[in-house]
Amino acid sequence: MSSNIKTDVLVIGAGAGGAAMSKRLSDNGIKVVCLEQGPWMHQMEHAHLYDGWEMERLRAWQWAPSLRQFPEDYPVTGNAMPQMMNGVGGSTLHYAGAWPRFKPVDFRRGTEHGLEGTIDWPISYEELEQYYEINDSELGVARLTGDPSNPSAPEGWGPVCKGHKVGNKMASGFDRLGWHWWPATNAVLTRAKDKRMVCNDCGFCLGGCPRGSIGSADVTYWPKAIANGVDLRTNARVETITTKNGLATGAVYVDRITGARHEVKARIVVVAANSIGTPRLLLMSEQKGHADGLANSNGLVGTHLMFHSWAFEDYWFNEPLEGFKGPEPGVLYSQQFYDTDVSRGFVNGFSLQVGTALGAANSALGTNTGNVAPWGAGHRGFFNSHFGHHALVYVQGEDLPILSNRVTLDANEVDTSGLPAAHVHYKLHENDRRLIEFGRVRAREAAEAAGGMTDYASTGVCAVNGPGPGWHMMGTCRIGNTPEDSVCNKYHQTWDVPNLFITDASSLPTGAAVNPTSTLQAMAVRAAEYIKNRHSDILSQRTTPSNADAPEL
Amino acid sequence: MDAKSSFTSKPPLGGWQPGITFTAAQIAALNAVADGLIPGGDGFPAPSTTGIVGYFAKYVTPSGTEAKWFPFFAEGEFRARLDAWAKAFVGSTSAGRVALLTALEKDEPGYFARLRDTVYLGYYSRPEVIAAINANLAAGRDYRQTPQPYGYSDNMLDWDKTLIARVQGSYLRTGDVKRVKVEDLGL
Repeated sequence: MSSNIKTDVLVIGAGAGGAAMSKRLSDNGIKVVCLEQGPWMHQMEHAHLYDGWEMERLRAWQWAPSLRQFPEDYPVTGNAMPQMMNGVGGSTLHYAGAWPRFKPVDFRRGTEHGLEGTIDWPISYEELEQYYEINDSELGVARLTGDPSNPSAPEGWGPVCKGHKVGNKMASGFDRLGWHWWPATNAVLTRAKDKRMVCNDCGFCLGGCPRGSIGSADVTYWPKAIANGVDLRTNARVETITTKNGLATGAVYVDRITGARHEVKARIVVVAANSIGTPRLLLMSEQKGHADGLANSNGLVGTHLMFHSWAFEDYWFNEPLEGFKGPEPGVLYSQQFYDTDVSRGFVNGFSLQVGTALGAANSALGTNTGNVAPWGAGHRGFFNSHFGHHALVYVQGEDLPILSNRVTLDANEVDTSGLPAAHVHYKLHENDRRLIEFGRVRAREAAEAAGGMTDYASTGVCAVNGPGPGWHMMGTCRIGNTPEDSVCNKYHQTWDVPNLFITDASSLPTGAAVNPTSTLQAMAVRAAEYIKNRHSDILSQRTTPSNADAPEL
Repeated sequence: MDAKSSFTSKPPLGGWQPGITFTAAQIAALNAVADGLIPGGDGFPAPSTTGIVGYFAKYVTPSGTEAKWFPFFAEGEFRARLDAWAKAFVGSTSAGRVALLTALEKDEPGYFARLRDTVYLGYYSRPEVIAAINANLAAGRDYRQTPQPYGYSDNMLDWDKTLIARVQGSYLRTGDVKRVKVEDLGL
């Protein structure tokens, strides 16, 4: 085994969190090695130029690794099917760049109700705000300022994405009801930046973006991180994080191409392998002194898994809406029902987000809700009245962090390196079921208010009436207030190992009711600032400081 | 640990090239099935006239390769199906084909769904069908066969600013978050 690789900071995972961490550290000359189990993706590997692009959504661009089965993927067993990508850019390779921020109340749900595993964040919105702005500047976002339902945010790099017919149609519904709505902020270029092209509204955002318009980490942070000198090693699958005398010393990885094992020695280790991969790796790193897995002396690694509570609601109207155009899932949002109102029978709230419909085949296949065009004599009439007449409203609710919703290991299945699968158990809480049922009715009211609805279909409550949602993986190694309620302190240092940091969506104590990437990446930027500013303090620590005792950022 | 991973390869983007070659009887059977699922008319071509068989040829997994990606059709088994259908479908009346497809849907719903979905995916990717959408549907005048390279920015409407001007809303400030009473929720 080669062990001659030494670095200041080892980052594990080249997705949203790992990319931001690597770039921001290397800006200040810190030597960084990043290990990524997947490869680079070439623009031509996107399906947008192939006539079978809608078929490829079910094959090469299948979101669930257990179905996609790429060599760089690892199996995930259990009762949910998380959706992720393994490669430079991580799951941002197939995200659409919907870019809302968490709201101030999201950082204080413990104070508000504290149900199940809900805790206050150890930081406030105000403490994170400047890192949202740094991160936005790195990516280049399209935003319309002035949303009265959120704290003010700076002008975007470019103008907001256009709403087209779907956006204006659904906006009219919210408007007639007097409900809040606002054009969605997206990490999508509406003005050229670096070597990335401006979005041309092709409509297939969830297949990644061959133009580089969507702010995926491979085209935003990574080119600059590599220019800074970051040693990014692809096809490098970490099998264990090493420790000595209570400190992380690096990691052993398998070169997936040659099968050879290598050891990287580092003074600080940062794990950013997503909310499934990070607990998997920590649990795989069981070793002397860490019998239940690394950073898991309190048994909380892998717990409090969140996916958002969810329902897709498809509506069809009697006028052409051309939903095959424009930003796919991020047209507009309503946060009319975001704040807790216990008279509704539940805590927390939800966003109603409007999206579009992809292409003709997807329309025939039932869009998002299985409303499949009949075969035979009725096919033509159904297709002609549904294709291009559709608007999606998805109810995205905050799900409670629950101790028993968790990630563990499953040795019955392994990846190509012989490492155990991740196993997921997720059960929707009654609070969250009520929340989504309430939200479904509100979505329907908005569609009816828009006028001219001709058909309707729904998934029902995901994880109750059908498969659970899996694209927003959150929790499992959360930051918190004490070693009893979390895996990390407020600066993302694991309570057990002071020079081991975690900066991905697993760090989120609660999931809010909006897409999480802008927040997890802002958190990674903040943690990077801490490592930069407090490098010598961190290296001198033999125990992780409490939040009160930790040095100031 | 004895378990072995099956995650050993990737599906070829765009399907297998050049794709398998069907016999004349198999082609006739597949065309008949596809035409039964999506009858031509009202300005739209029948699938059999659009090259739907060539689409299937790329997405049926060739012999010697595990059929582990959608539509999960293995060559040998799929050919056997087509050979059986050739006797039943070809030469059958329109009503007879409907009866055969109805029976398949009832007896093997999972298989039927994959077959139907592949016909839909293939049919609505064919240039002749895109042209029909452009010609016949107001909602699809400028719909393209592929999202890139052109996209649709040439015909995107901006937001209705009168609607935006009326938007109202508020949010809870950090200091305004208060405890709510959860005891009556029955959770």
